[in-house]
Amino acid sequence: MEGHRTLQQIQRGIRTRRILKLTVMTVIIYTIAIVYFSPILYMFLTGFKTEHQAVLPRLFFTPTFETFQRVVGDPTMFRFIRNSAYQVFFGTLLSLLLGIPAAFGLVFGRLRKDTTNGNIYLWFITTILLPPVAVIIPLYTWFQQFNLINTPYGLLVAYVGFHTPIVVWMVHSFFSDLPVEIFEASEIDGCSRLQQLIFIAVPLVRTGIMSAALLVAVFIWNEFFLGFNLTGNPTATLPVYMARFREQQGMFVAQLSASSTIAVLPAVIFGWMTQKALVKGLTLGAVKG
Amino acid sequence: MKKKKSKDFLFILPAMIVVGIMTQVPFLLTIIFSTLRWNLARPDLPRVFTGFDNYTHFLKIPSLQNVPEFYSILWQTIVITGSTLILCAVFGFLLALLFDHKIPGINIARTLILGPFFVMSTASGVIWKTTIFNTTFGWYGYFSRLLGAWPIDLLSYYPVQILIMLFTWQWMPFFILVLLAGLQGIPNDLVDSMKIDGVNWFQGTFKIKLPLIMNHMRVAVMLGFVFIIKEFGLILVTTAGGPGTRSYTLPYMVFMQVFNANNIGRGSAVAVMTVALTLLLVNLLYKSIKKQNERYA
Repeated sequence: MEGHRTLQQIQRGIRTRRILKLTVMTVIIYTIAIVYFSPILYMFLTGFKTEHQAVLPRLFFTPTFETFQRVVGDPTMFRFIRNSAYQVFFGTLLSLLLGIPAAFGLVFGRLRKDTTNGNIYLWFITTILLPPVAVIIPLYTWFQQFNLINTPYGLLVAYVGFHTPIVVWMVHSFFSDLPVEIFEASEIDGCSRLQQLIFIAVPLVRTGIMSAALLVAVFIWNEFFLGFNLTGNPTATLPVYMARFREQQGMFVAQLSASSTIAVLPAVIFGWMTQKALVKGLTLGAVKG
Repeated sequence: MKKKKSKDFLFILPAMIVVGIMTQVPFLLTIIFSTLRWNLARPDLPRVFTGFDNYTHFLKIPSLQNVPEFYSILWQTIVITGSTLILCAVFGFLLALLFDHKIPGINIARTLILGPFFVMSTASGVIWKTTIFNTTFGWYGYFSRLLGAWPIDLLSYYPVQILIMLFTWQWMPFFILVLLAGLQGIPNDLVDSMKIDGVNWFQGTFKIKLPLIMNHMRVAVMLGFVFIIKEFGLILVTTAGGPGTRSYTLPYMVFMQVFNANNIGRGSAVAVMTVALTLLLVNLLYKSIKKQNERYA
């Protein structure tokens, strides 16, 4: 060991150690992230194999678009995608149309008693906690009775009923951040409540609303229990298709992977876009409530 | 003034009506159904009020040799949900600490580990089942043959353990997401002063950081519980509750009672007990959050 190191040498030593530590950390973190994600990654890859290649688990192969082309061209798959897209689009839209005014009313509205706002808000939260098995049996009997199984409307109303509380919950936390003074000032200027909502409140929290919308879209896209039990063949959604894949199509690993890639990709991308708002909406909402 | 008050309520009313009709009314009906003898497969039998017969059918223990399977299914539900929550909380916290480091491209790594949370459970179940656990086509079969072992069908031999693993894989990202938000909310000067005071890693992590983000942990556990206990798709596509009823959970039991046995009354009874269990545990967790908030308020 050298006894006398110059200050520069010591600094260089510290810097080298820091860079080394950073490199090791980077490798560890990336390894864990990739291993954790690998089942999905392998699914993406397998979609680019032929059925013959997919029989053996291999990472290196000559990719082909053959399987994807066949899956995309399949009219059955298209029907499921269309059904899912319908539920996601109208389900999200209607949940927002019901949920945003409700959240606005709960934050800024003057109700009969001061405690009413909080109580109704809490009621919306408890409906989120209600497991779907609590409602499935009466819904199933209604759907049978009114033949809603083979129309998309019944499931749509169920989805709106189950996802409006989530919109209320998240948007409530965004509205709560707005200063009340803006609304008091605009009220003096002769602005009605509806105008306040449309022209002041919504534009101010539009990014929050966007992420609430994306999150609800992801939830509806992935929802399985209601979709599985309340749809017939013409109205079934993508998660139902994935669950029935083996019994309907047989053991085609490549085709299965390509189909699930198409089913999974939109939700994963939209989900990634919402992650920040998800944390804010869920934690603040729950911690404050 | 009075007129204005009623107008504000109109903003909330439509949402309340739709949510009420789709959640509260059916739940009340489920409670009513649970007191009826109502079997869709037997339309010849009249629908009659039977009181608590549907409940006692599941709950009554005739003798110790003949314990109804409801209890084992209840136990399985508790084991699967509880183990998943513990694994998610422990490893989620450790991974959140790891992913709190500032490395180049940390957002890409965070994004990757978050992925499984947004994958629909039926797709991830099918993918794990065919590309990993399958004894012929999957990686598990490939590696065990490579090592000279005979691959077994893990899903029939260890259904509960496999379900716990898959649930954990799917829900841990959610824990990481919430806990990471908590860790990033810890002020920087606190971390700096920890360094200056010579706090070691163990003390800093478990005595300072963990208590600081305890509320995030509680929220993650509470929401995770609500979501995990109702999980259904993953069980259906991987083990289908089997072998026998070994990997049934309460929601799966409701499904089988109604859609396989066509027994509306008994299915409703299980549904009501599931809701009661869920709300009881959520209430306990929620109270602990509220208490914690008051302490720091």
